[in-house]
Amino acid sequence: MKEFKSIVNESGKGKFYLFTELCKGCGLCIEKCPKHDIGWTDRLGIYGAPTVESGRGEEGCIACKTCQNICPECAILIEKIQ
Amino acid sequence: MAVELTNVAPAMPACWRKETKTHKFCPGCGHGIVLKALGEAIDELGIQDKVIFTVDIGCCLLAIDFFNVDTVQTHHGRTNAVCTGIKRATPDKICIAYMGDGGGYAIGSQHLVNAAARNERITSILVNNTNYGMTGGQMAPTTLPGQKTETSPYGRSVEQQGQPTHGPEMIAAMAAEGAYVARGTVAKPKVLKKYFKKALEAQMNGSGFSFVEALSTCPTNWATNAKKTWAFLEGPMAEEYPTGEFKVPGEGGKAE
Ligand SMILES: Cc1ncc(C[n+]2csc(CCOP(=O)(O)OP(=O)(O)O)c2C)c(N)n1
Ligand code: SF4
Ligand code: SF4
Ligand code: SF4
Ligand SMILES: [Mg+2]
Repeated sequence: MKEFKSIVNESGKGKFYLFTELCKGCGLCIEKCPKHDIGWTDRLGIYGAPTVESGRGEEGCIACKTCQNICPECAILIEKIQ
Repeated sequence: MAVELTNVAPAMPACWRKETKTHKFCPGCGHGIVLKALGEAIDELGIQDKVIFTVDIGCCLLAIDFFNVDTVQTHHGRTNAVCTGIKRATPDKICIAYMGDGGGYAIGSQHLVNAAARNERITSILVNNTNYGMTGGQMAPTTLPGQKTETSPYGRSVEQQGQPTHGPEMIAAMAAEGAYVARGTVAKPKVLKKYFKKALEAQMNGSGFSFVEALSTCPTNWATNAKKTWAFLEGPMAEEYPTGEFKVPGEGGKAE
Protein backbone atom coordinates (compact mmCIF):
# COMPACT_ATOMS: atom_id res chain seq x y z
CA MET A 1 0.00 0.00 0.00
CA LYS A 2 1.27 3.46 -0.88
CA GLU A 3 2.55 5.46 2.10
CA PHE A 4 2.21 9.20 2.49
CA LYS A 5 4.59 11.25 4.63
CA SER A 6 3.18 13.84 6.98
CA ILE A 7 4.39 16.79 9.02
CA VAL A 8 2.68 17.36 12.37
CA ASN A 9 2.22 20.39 14.56
CA GLU A 10 0.15 20.99 17.68
CA SER A 11 -2.19 23.85 18.39
CA GLY A 12 -4.83 24.12 21.12
CA LYS A 13 -6.77 20.86 21.29
CA GLY A 14 -5.54 19.41 18.00
CA LYS A 15 -2.61 17.65 16.41
CA PHE A 16 -2.58 18.75 12.75
CA TYR A 17 -1.00 16.26 10.33
CA LEU A 18 -0.39 17.62 6.82
CA PHE A 19 0.43 15.19 3.99
CA THR A 20 2.72 17.21 1.74
CA GLU A 21 2.37 14.90 -1.29
CA LEU A 22 -1.40 15.36 -1.19
CA CYS A 23 -1.82 19.10 -0.51
CA LYS A 24 -2.37 21.17 -3.68
CA GLY A 25 -2.41 24.49 -1.85
CA CYS A 26 -6.01 25.36 -2.73
CA GLY A 27 -6.60 27.25 0.53
CA LEU A 28 -10.16 25.95 1.05
CA CYS A 29 -9.24 24.78 4.58
CA ILE A 30 -7.85 28.20 5.56
CA GLU A 31 -11.19 29.85 4.73
CA LYS A 32 -13.29 27.22 6.53
CA CYS A 33 -11.45 27.03 9.87
CA PRO A 34 -13.83 28.57 12.44
CA LYS A 35 -10.85 29.64 14.59
CA HIS A 36 -8.75 31.12 11.74
CA ASP A 37 -6.01 28.80 12.94
CA ILE A 38 -4.65 27.63 9.55
CA GLY A 39 -2.02 29.51 7.54
CA TRP A 40 0.52 29.05 4.73
CA THR A 41 3.99 27.57 5.25
CA ASP A 42 7.11 27.78 3.06
CA ARG A 43 7.01 24.01 2.47
CA LEU A 44 5.78 23.24 -1.05
CA GLY A 45 3.19 20.61 -1.88
CA ILE A 46 2.65 18.27 -4.83
CA TYR A 47 2.00 21.10 -7.34
CA GLY A 48 4.73 23.40 -6.02
CA ALA A 49 2.25 25.59 -4.16
CA PRO A 50 2.64 26.37 -0.44
CA THR A 51 1.17 23.89 2.06
CA VAL A 52 -0.60 24.74 5.30
CA GLU A 53 -0.29 24.27 9.06
CA SER A 54 -2.30 25.12 12.17
CA GLY A 55 -1.30 27.38 15.05
CA ARG A 56 -1.99 30.81 13.53
CA GLY A 57 -5.08 31.81 15.51
CA GLU A 58 -5.26 33.43 18.92
CA GLU A 59 -7.36 30.68 20.53
CA GLY A 60 -5.81 27.62 18.86
CA CYS A 61 -7.38 24.61 17.18
CA ILE A 62 -10.58 23.15 18.70
CA ALA A 63 -10.21 19.81 16.84
CA CYS A 64 -13.56 20.27 15.06
CA LYS A 65 -12.17 18.48 11.95
CA THR A 66 -13.86 20.92 9.55
CA CYS A 67 -10.58 21.29 7.64
CA GLN A 68 -10.10 17.52 7.46
CA ASN A 69 -13.66 17.03 6.23
CA ILE A 70 -13.60 19.63 3.46
CA CYS A 71 -10.07 19.02 2.13
CA PRO A 72 -10.67 17.56 -1.37
CA GLU A 73 -7.36 15.68 -1.18
CA CYS A 74 -7.52 14.08 2.31
CA ALA A 75 -4.30 16.00 3.00
CA ILE A 76 -5.22 16.87 6.62
CA LEU A 77 -5.66 14.55 9.59
CA ILE A 78 -6.71 15.97 12.97
CA GLU A 79 -6.09 14.09 16.20
CA LYS A 80 -7.70 15.40 19.35
CA ILE A 81 -5.21 16.00 22.16
CA GLN A 82 -6.69 14.30 25.24
CA MET B 1 13.20 21.77 10.03
CA ALA B 2 10.03 19.78 10.64
CA VAL B 3 10.32 16.02 10.88
CA GLU B 4 8.52 13.91 8.28
CA LEU B 5 6.46 11.07 9.73
CA THR B 6 5.61 7.82 7.96
CA ASN B 7 3.64 6.12 10.72
CA VAL B 8 0.39 8.05 10.24
CA ALA B 9 -1.95 7.36 7.31
CA PRO B 10 -4.29 9.97 5.80
CA ALA B 11 -8.01 9.62 6.57
CA MET B 12 -8.82 8.34 3.06
CA PRO B 13 -11.84 6.16 2.37
CA ALA B 14 -10.75 2.49 2.25
CA CYS B 15 -12.17 2.12 -1.29
CA TRP B 16 -10.02 5.00 -2.66
CA ARG B 17 -7.18 3.70 -4.82
CA LYS B 18 -4.16 5.06 -2.92
CA GLU B 19 -1.73 4.51 -5.81
CA THR B 20 -3.53 7.12 -7.93
CA LYS B 21 -3.46 9.83 -5.26
CA THR B 22 -3.15 12.71 -5.26
CA HIS B 23 -5.99 12.62 -7.75
CA LYS B 24 -6.12 14.52 -11.05
CA PHE B 25 -8.66 17.24 -10.19
CA CYS B 26 -7.55 20.90 -9.98
CA PRO B 27 -6.68 22.49 -6.63
CA GLY B 28 -9.92 23.32 -4.81
CA CYS B 29 -12.12 21.25 -7.14
CA GLY B 30 -15.29 19.95 -5.48
CA HIS B 31 -15.14 16.62 -7.35
CA GLY B 32 -12.62 15.46 -4.69
CA ILE B 33 -15.06 16.26 -1.86
CA VAL B 34 -17.96 14.56 -3.68
CA LEU B 35 -15.87 11.42 -4.23
CA LYS B 36 -14.68 11.43 -0.63
CA ALA B 37 -18.32 11.48 0.55
CA LEU B 38 -19.18 8.74 -1.96
CA GLY B 39 -16.14 6.67 -0.86
CA GLU B 40 -17.19 6.94 2.78
CA ALA B 41 -20.74 5.91 1.86
CA ILE B 42 -19.42 2.85 -0.02
CA ASP B 43 -17.18 1.96 2.94
CA GLU B 44 -19.93 2.34 5.52
CA LEU B 45 -22.35 0.20 3.48
CA GLY B 46 -19.61 -2.43 2.94
CA ILE B 47 -20.32 -2.70 -0.80
CA GLN B 48 -16.93 -2.05 -2.43
CA ASP B 49 -16.76 -5.54 -4.01
CA LYS B 50 -20.20 -5.08 -5.60
CA VAL B 51 -19.91 -1.55 -6.99
CA ILE B 52 -19.54 -0.80 -10.69
CA PHE B 53 -18.71 2.86 -11.32
CA THR B 54 -19.40 4.49 -14.68
CA VAL B 55 -17.99 7.92 -15.46
CA ASP B 56 -19.09 10.46 -18.06
CA ILE B 57 -16.94 12.61 -20.29
CA GLY B 58 -16.18 15.85 -18.49
CA CYS B 59 -14.01 16.28 -15.43
CA CYS B 60 -15.70 13.14 -14.04
CA LEU B 61 -13.49 11.13 -16.38
CA LEU B 62 -10.55 12.11 -14.21
CA ALA B 63 -12.06 9.57 -11.77
CA ILE B 64 -11.45 6.65 -14.15
CA ASP B 65 -8.86 5.21 -11.73
CA PHE B 66 -10.17 6.81 -8.54
CA PHE B 67 -11.65 3.83 -6.63
CA ASN B 68 -10.59 0.22 -6.28
CA VAL B 69 -13.80 -0.84 -8.05
CA ASP B 70 -14.60 -1.84 -11.63
CA THR B 71 -14.94 1.40 -13.59
CA VAL B 72 -16.26 2.10 -17.09
CA GLN B 73 -15.70 5.23 -19.19
CA THR B 74 -18.76 6.09 -21.28
CA HIS B 75 -19.46 8.49 -24.12
CA HIS B 76 -20.52 12.02 -23.18
CA GLY B 77 -24.05 11.99 -21.76
CA ARG B 78 -24.42 8.20 -22.00
CA THR B 79 -23.44 7.28 -18.47
CA ASN B 80 -26.98 6.61 -17.22
CA ALA B 81 -27.63 4.44 -20.28
CA VAL B 82 -24.43 2.39 -19.92
CA CYS B 83 -25.00 2.06 -16.19
CA THR B 84 -28.56 0.84 -16.87
CA GLY B 85 -27.27 -1.82 -19.27
CA ILE B 86 -24.74 -3.10 -16.74
CA LYS B 87 -27.37 -3.19 -13.98
CA ARG B 88 -29.84 -5.10 -16.15
CA ALA B 89 -27.18 -7.64 -17.15
CA THR B 90 -25.83 -8.05 -13.60
CA PRO B 91 -28.63 -7.08 -11.19
CA ASP B 92 -26.66 -8.14 -8.11
CA LYS B 93 -24.09 -5.39 -8.76
CA ILE B 94 -24.49 -1.90 -7.34
CA CYS B 95 -24.19 0.44 -10.30
CA ILE B 96 -23.28 4.13 -9.95
CA ALA B 97 -23.39 6.65 -12.82
CA TYR B 98 -21.18 9.74 -12.27
CA MET B 99 -21.64 12.82 -14.47
CA GLY B 100 -21.44 16.59 -14.68
CA ASP B 101 -24.27 19.05 -15.22
CA GLY B 102 -23.45 19.26 -18.94
CA GLY B 103 -23.45 15.47 -19.21
CA GLY B 104 -26.68 14.96 -17.27
CA TYR B 105 -28.80 18.03 -18.11
CA ALA B 106 -27.67 18.91 -21.65
CA ILE B 107 -26.32 16.21 -23.99
CA GLY B 108 -27.53 13.30 -21.81
CA SER B 109 -30.78 14.70 -20.44
CA GLN B 110 -32.86 12.13 -22.33
CA HIS B 111 -31.00 9.28 -20.64
CA LEU B 112 -31.39 10.79 -17.16
CA VAL B 113 -35.09 11.52 -17.64
CA ASN B 114 -35.89 8.13 -19.14
CA ALA B 115 -33.84 6.18 -16.59
CA ALA B 116 -35.96 7.95 -13.97
CA ALA B 117 -39.17 7.31 -15.92
CA ARG B 118 -38.35 3.58 -16.18
CA ASN B 119 -37.41 3.58 -12.49
CA GLU B 120 -34.06 1.93 -13.25
CA ARG B 121 -32.41 0.52 -10.13
CA ILE B 122 -29.25 2.56 -10.53
CA THR B 123 -27.73 5.42 -8.54
CA SER B 124 -27.12 8.53 -10.61
CA ILE B 125 -24.80 11.22 -9.19
CA LEU B 126 -24.54 14.60 -10.90
CA VAL B 127 -21.94 17.26 -10.06
CA ASN B 128 -23.34 20.76 -10.56
CA ASN B 129 -20.48 23.26 -10.99
CA THR B 130 -22.53 25.67 -13.14
CA ASN B 131 -20.34 25.20 -16.22
CA TYR B 132 -18.62 22.81 -18.64
CA GLY B 133 -15.45 22.45 -16.60
CA MET B 134 -13.35 20.16 -18.74
CA THR B 135 -13.69 22.13 -21.96
CA GLY B 136 -12.80 25.50 -20.44
CA GLY B 137 -15.85 26.88 -18.69
CA GLN B 138 -18.67 27.24 -21.22
CA MET B 139 -22.26 27.97 -20.16
CA ALA B 140 -24.19 24.92 -18.90
CA PRO B 141 -27.93 24.42 -18.25
CA THR B 142 -27.09 25.17 -14.60
CA THR B 143 -25.27 28.48 -15.19
CA LEU B 144 -26.91 31.12 -12.98
CA PRO B 145 -28.79 34.09 -14.47
CA GLY B 146 -26.22 36.84 -15.04
CA GLN B 147 -23.26 34.48 -14.52
CA LYS B 148 -20.34 35.13 -16.88
CA THR B 149 -18.81 32.14 -18.65
CA GLU B 150 -16.69 31.64 -21.79
CA THR B 151 -19.87 31.53 -23.89
CA SER B 152 -21.93 34.04 -21.89
CA PRO B 153 -19.40 36.88 -21.59
CA TYR B 154 -22.12 39.41 -20.69
CA GLY B 155 -23.74 37.01 -18.21
CA ARG B 156 -26.42 34.39 -18.83
CA SER B 157 -29.55 36.00 -20.17
CA VAL B 158 -32.81 34.39 -19.05
CA GLU B 159 -34.48 36.04 -22.04
CA GLN B 160 -32.17 34.27 -24.50
CA GLN B 161 -31.08 31.10 -22.69
CA GLY B 162 -33.94 30.47 -20.28
CA GLN B 163 -33.93 29.64 -16.59
CA PRO B 164 -31.33 27.31 -15.05
CA THR B 165 -32.26 23.61 -14.93
CA HIS B 166 -33.41 22.35 -11.53
CA GLY B 167 -32.63 18.65 -11.87
CA PRO B 168 -33.72 17.08 -8.58
CA GLU B 169 -37.02 19.02 -8.66
CA MET B 170 -37.66 17.73 -12.20
CA ILE B 171 -36.71 14.12 -11.42
CA ALA B 172 -38.71 14.11 -8.16
CA ALA B 173 -41.80 15.33 -10.02
CA MET B 174 -41.71 12.44 -12.48
CA ALA B 175 -40.08 9.55 -10.59
CA ALA B 176 -42.13 6.62 -9.29
CA GLU B 177 -42.87 5.96 -5.62
CA GLY B 178 -39.81 4.23 -4.17
CA ALA B 179 -37.32 6.52 -5.91
CA TYR B 180 -34.85 8.63 -3.92
CA VAL B 181 -33.95 12.19 -5.01
CA ALA B 182 -31.80 14.75 -3.17
CA ARG B 183 -29.50 17.74 -3.63
CA GLY B 184 -26.45 18.17 -1.39
CA THR B 185 -23.44 20.45 -1.39
CA VAL B 186 -19.70 20.00 -0.91
CA ALA B 187 -19.98 22.71 1.77
CA LYS B 188 -21.67 20.01 3.92
CA PRO B 189 -19.87 16.76 3.07
CA LYS B 190 -21.38 14.74 5.94
CA VAL B 191 -24.93 15.52 4.77
CA LEU B 192 -23.91 14.68 1.21
CA LYS B 193 -22.59 11.31 2.42
CA LYS B 194 -25.94 10.64 4.12
CA TYR B 195 -27.77 11.33 0.83
CA PHE B 196 -25.41 9.00 -1.05
CA LYS B 197 -26.02 6.23 1.48
CA LYS B 198 -29.80 6.60 1.20
CA ALA B 199 -29.56 6.65 -2.60
CA LEU B 200 -27.45 3.48 -2.64
CA GLU B 201 -29.83 1.82 -0.18
CA ALA B 202 -32.75 2.56 -2.52
CA GLN B 203 -30.85 0.66 -5.20
CA MET B 204 -29.76 -2.14 -2.85
CA ASN B 205 -33.28 -2.84 -1.58
CA GLY B 206 -34.71 -2.45 -5.08
CA SER B 207 -37.15 0.32 -4.16
CA GLY B 208 -36.32 2.45 -7.20
CA PHE B 209 -34.19 4.93 -9.14
CA SER B 210 -31.91 7.15 -7.09
CA PHE B 211 -30.52 10.57 -8.03
CA VAL B 212 -28.32 12.95 -6.05
CA GLU B 213 -27.11 16.31 -7.37
CA ALA B 214 -24.06 17.75 -5.61
CA LEU B 215 -23.43 21.51 -5.68
CA SER B 216 -19.70 21.72 -6.33
CA THR B 217 -16.80 24.09 -6.99
CA CYS B 218 -14.74 24.84 -10.10
CA PRO B 219 -12.19 27.49 -9.05
CA THR B 220 -10.24 27.08 -12.29
CA ASN B 221 -13.07 28.21 -14.54
CA TRP B 222 -14.79 30.46 -12.04
CA ALA B 223 -11.39 32.18 -11.68
CA THR B 224 -11.93 32.40 -7.92
CA ASN B 225 -9.57 32.22 -4.96
CA ALA B 226 -10.55 30.09 -1.95
CA LYS B 227 -12.63 32.81 -0.29
CA LYS B 228 -14.58 33.65 -3.45
CA THR B 229 -15.01 29.95 -4.25
CA TRP B 230 -16.86 29.30 -0.98
CA ALA B 231 -18.74 32.61 -1.35
CA PHE B 232 -20.13 31.62 -4.78
CA LEU B 233 -21.03 28.08 -3.67
CA GLU B 234 -22.69 29.12 -0.43
CA GLY B 235 -24.17 32.37 -1.74
CA PRO B 236 -25.71 32.62 -5.24
CA MET B 237 -25.56 28.87 -5.99
CA ALA B 238 -27.23 27.88 -2.72
CA GLU B 239 -29.90 30.53 -3.31
CA GLU B 240 -30.74 29.23 -6.78
CA TYR B 241 -30.50 25.55 -5.81
CA PRO B 242 -32.02 24.59 -2.45
CA THR B 243 -30.48 21.52 -0.82
CA GLY B 244 -32.46 18.73 0.81
CA GLU B 245 -34.33 15.54 0.02
CA PHE B 246 -36.96 15.85 -2.72
CA LYS B 247 -38.25 12.28 -2.72
CA VAL B 248 -37.73 9.59 -0.09
CA PRO B 249 -39.17 6.07 -0.44
CA GLY B 250 -42.34 5.95 1.64
CA GLU B 251 -42.22 9.64 2.60
CA GLY B 252 -42.59 11.93 -0.40
CA GLY B 253 -40.11 14.57 0.79
CA LYS B 254 -39.38 18.25 0.32
CA ALA B 255 -36.49 20.68 0.32
CA GLU B 256 -34.76 21.72 3.57
C1 LIG C 1 -20.42 13.83 -27.95
C2 LIG C 1 -19.52 14.86 -27.34
N1 LIG C 1 -19.84 16.17 -27.45
C3 LIG C 1 -19.06 17.12 -26.88
C4 LIG C 1 -17.92 16.76 -26.23
C5 LIG C 1 -17.02 17.84 -25.62
N2 LIG C 1 -17.13 17.87 -24.18
C6 LIG C 1 -16.23 17.24 -23.38
S1 LIG C 1 -16.51 17.48 -21.75
C7 LIG C 1 -17.87 18.46 -22.11
C8 LIG C 1 -18.69 19.13 -21.04
C9 LIG C 1 -18.38 18.72 -19.64
O1 LIG C 1 -19.14 19.46 -18.75
P1 LIG C 1 -19.87 18.78 -17.53
O2 LIG C 1 -20.64 17.59 -17.98
O3 LIG C 1 -20.64 19.83 -16.80
O4 LIG C 1 -18.67 18.23 -16.62
P2 LIG C 1 -17.54 19.04 -15.81
O5 LIG C 1 -16.30 18.99 -16.65
O6 LIG C 1 -18.05 20.43 -15.58
O7 LIG C 1 -17.39 18.28 -14.52
C10 LIG C 1 -18.06 18.59 -23.48
C11 LIG C 1 -19.14 19.39 -24.09
C12 LIG C 1 -17.59 15.38 -26.17
N3 LIG C 1 -16.49 14.94 -25.53
N4 LIG C 1 -18.40 14.46 -26.72
S1 SF4 D 1 -4.78 20.92 3.07
FE1 SF4 D 1 -6.34 20.41 1.55
S2 SF4 D 1 -7.82 22.11 1.65
FE2 SF4 D 1 -5.94 22.82 2.66
S3 SF4 D 1 -4.74 23.85 1.04
FE3 SF4 D 1 -4.02 21.70 1.11
S4 SF4 D 1 -5.29 20.65 -0.42
FE4 SF4 D 1 -6.33 22.59 0.02
S1 SF4 E 1 -9.80 21.09 13.35
FE1 SF4 E 1 -11.18 22.87 13.22
S2 SF4 E 1 -10.21 24.42 14.53
FE2 SF4 E 1 -8.64 22.85 14.13
S3 SF4 E 1 -7.52 23.64 12.35
FE3 SF4 E 1 -9.14 22.28 11.57
S4 SF4 E 1 -10.88 23.62 11.13
FE4 SF4 E 1 -9.46 24.77 12.44
S1 SF4 F 1 -11.86 22.35 -14.46
FE1 SF4 F 1 -13.22 22.72 -12.70
S2 SF4 F 1 -14.44 20.83 -12.46
FE2 SF4 F 1 -12.66 20.35 -13.80
S3 SF4 F 1 -11.09 19.52 -12.40
FE3 SF4 F 1 -10.71 21.73 -12.64
S4 SF4 F 1 -11.83 22.73 -10.95
FE4 SF4 F 1 -12.62 20.62 -11.16
MG1 LIG G 1 -20.04 20.91 -15.12
